[in-house]
Amino acid sequence: MQVHQDQPNPWARRRSEKARRKALLGSLADGCVLPTDKLRSALETLIASGDRVALEGNNQKQADFLSRTLAQVDPGKVNNLHMIMPSVGRSEHLDLFERGIARKLDFSFAGPQSLRIAQLLEDGRLEIGAIHTYIELYARMFVDLTPNIALVAGFKADRDGNLYTGPSTEDTPAIVEATAFRDGIVIAQVNEIVDDPKDLPRVDIPGSWVDYIVQADRPFFMEPLFTRDPRLIKPVHVLMGMMAIRGIYERHQVQSLNHGIGFNTAAIELLLPTYAASLGLKGKICKHWALNPHPTLIPAIESGWVESVHSFGGEMGMENYIAARPDVFFNGPDGSMRSNRAFCQLAGQYAVDMFIGSTLQIDGDGHSSTVTRGRLAGFGGAPNMGHDPRGRRHATPAWLDMLQTDSPLERGKKLVVQMVETFQAGGKPTFVETLDAVQVAKDSGMPLAPVMIYGDDVTHVLSEEGIAYLYKARSLDERRAMLAAVAGVTPIGMRRDEALTESMRKQGLIATPEDLGIRRTDATRSLLAARSVADLVEWSDGLYNPPPRFRSW
Amino acid sequence: MHDNRQDAILARQSFIELSARARARALLDAGSFRELIGPFARMTSPWLTAQGIVPQADDGVVIAKGTLDGKATVVAAIEGSFQGGSLGEVAGAKIAGALELAAEDCRQGRLTQAVILFETGGVRLQEANLGLAAIAEIHSAIVDLRQYAPVVGIVAGTVGCFGGMSIAAGLCSYLMVTREARLGLNGPQVIEQEAGVEEYDSRDRPLIWGFTGGEQRYETGFADAFIADDVADVQTQLGALFARGVPARHRSDRHGDFLARLARVDISRQADSAMVRALFTKGEQA
Repeated sequence: MQVHQDQPNPWARRRSEKARRKALLGSLADGCVLPTDKLRSALETLIASGDRVALEGNNQKQADFLSRTLAQVDPGKVNNLHMIMPSVGRSEHLDLFERGIARKLDFSFAGPQSLRIAQLLEDGRLEIGAIHTYIELYARMFVDLTPNIALVAGFKADRDGNLYTGPSTEDTPAIVEATAFRDGIVIAQVNEIVDDPKDLPRVDIPGSWVDYIVQADRPFFMEPLFTRDPRLIKPVHVLMGMMAIRGIYERHQVQSLNHGIGFNTAAIELLLPTYAASLGLKGKICKHWALNPHPTLIPAIESGWVESVHSFGGEMGMENYIAARPDVFFNGPDGSMRSNRAFCQLAGQYAVDMFIGSTLQIDGDGHSSTVTRGRLAGFGGAPNMGHDPRGRRHATPAWLDMLQTDSPLERGKKLVVQMVETFQAGGKPTFVETLDAVQVAKDSGMPLAPVMIYGDDVTHVLSEEGIAYLYKARSLDERRAMLAAVAGVTPIGMRRDEALTESMRKQGLIATPEDLGIRRTDATRSLLAARSVADLVEWSDGLYNPPPRFRSW
Repeated sequence: MHDNRQDAILARQSFIELSARARARALLDAGSFRELIGPFARMTSPWLTAQGIVPQADDGVVIAKGTLDGKATVVAAIEGSFQGGSLGEVAGAKIAGALELAAEDCRQGRLTQAVILFETGGVRLQEANLGLAAIAEIHSAIVDLRQYAPVVGIVAGTVGCFGGMSIAAGLCSYLMVTREARLGLNGPQVIEQEAGVEEYDSRDRPLIWGFTGGEQRYETGFADAFIADDVADVQTQLGALFARGVPARHRSDRHGDFLARLARVDISRQADSAMVRALFTKGEQA
């Protein structure tokens, strides 16, 4: 077969298209550097209508100069984009749809924009491909959602496009890899461009994977999403934390884990140096973590509980503390942390003994969801952590402790623990007859109800009433009865049969605080290793620098 | 790892964490605490229920009698977790009455000193003028009692001390503050509402504490002791202030000096923490 020079290689259409667009840009770019004030016209040149555009919106790090500018392009030139976004967190993310620049959305998490997504969907301005978990979305970028364009954020770059992403590496490697190696165009915004490559603390993304960099008009937006003020931990959280440590962590020898974010898990972190230490558990539980750098973990780290922490992302104010604890965190040779959401999600899926987290609603079968009416909040990473990965083959004491038979062919199980108060703020029951998610699915035409964690993955439900050891259930009916027994006076709890509850206590299917040797009156805040943000600073020997909104001094 | 530092943190008993009743108990000599008009006296607000608010059996104020270093002491402790420590008819009358009785005891030759634990946003809006009247009575009672025995105010946090009760704090013989305390006439939101967010952003916590925070109030001479959030430190420093006796000149008698300083403020430029410090620390303050 003869290939004519003036005809594009039919096996490299993506490559020639990329070259064509880059050529169109002409002298607008200085090497790989796009001028800050010409970004809009650069985007109008490099992005074509109908492109799949991966936009880095993370939990913490936002490519917001790129997203704000993309929202300003002429919809007559660029339209019908297919956005691929791990996190839809900023208003301009949805302005893209309102202005007709984008049409289709595949995403994972939508926290604060969840209400508006639902509205745009209803108005027909937005079409949802699917709502994913994080790893699921990254995985699809390597299968059928390969981006044509990646818009990402870093702290610094040199003039060859080498990127320093800083502690918040997060989603950048996954998005860039999927784009760069199938001839997509990678554009990175940075807070600072350095002339001398030696001024980059380290290279997180090599310059040869990056097509363009642009200095942002202002540093990218970040939020301290994983900071919980110990002052707001209530005695009921302390009680539930004690129950978790006694009835789950100690009982099953949980050595590696992920904590969802919330005051329940913050309480557990702060009970390790006090209550758990008094039980002699130091060195026996909670050694390895897949966890964002929670400030409330500082006392446990300082008192020698924690061997390792790998993080999805960074957390504001924790930078100096993390840099000073390289034995514990994954830090680069420059000293700062390197997070990686894809790898940490995989770690939380495959390599930890336990996931423990909270939710807004649990039904009688143990299905749970954080979706409430009128909102499409997405999944984020909780389902990755909150399920039993059936591809796991390595054994640990906790995993083996879930075995129910002597069969050599039975597999172990990851512990998936839902830790909830029976009622939410405002008197809304947590245990409900039907998840709101069922109606939301109907209203928005989703093929399935957006369930965060499926009942058959849940091994334990812990409420202030007690722990239901669901993995021991011998039938669906028994499982329902166990759940009802810890559901308090919610609609599900009212189904409880007292005689049956007593018998399940005797069989060890459920346990009350008393069964675990915990006196409810002992559950006071004085057990917390830190009771304020100021205490955390003191624990860190001044290394933790809390964001202003968490300071009371 | 610094085990001594960790042991110290774990051993420390937080004062801020304590309820009003537990604070009063912690300050008095062991075994001497006796509560007056306690929750079982059922002296509660007659106004809240009608406005759909669940009242509290002690109306958010604990009055305790006992000894401190052996000396007769009355403690009035405001519970910040009930209605933001706001003072209405009953709560205010409990404090005013206790201080008036202490002054009467002093006149009868039974010297009685007082501690007021301020954890209050000021007047309870639901009880309007009755609360304001009660706060005025508290002011008079402090001024009466302080001529015989010291009245020590403590602002620990987390609520702080605002409104009419900040005036009460200013009238005390001595004032103790933690770093977490705030002391000011108007709360941050009120100032923001009146002066604009450019002038005073109530969500800018370092800014707020830079003006009204405990450390700033201590450094500018509006408080006499800067205490750690530690029961032992509060006890020690409280004892030291009482040992000083009745001050020769009360802070509130120095109004002339304060007014002269305020007159020197250059209102053409935005005030900041350092400017306030310079204003109130330069020159003599006697």
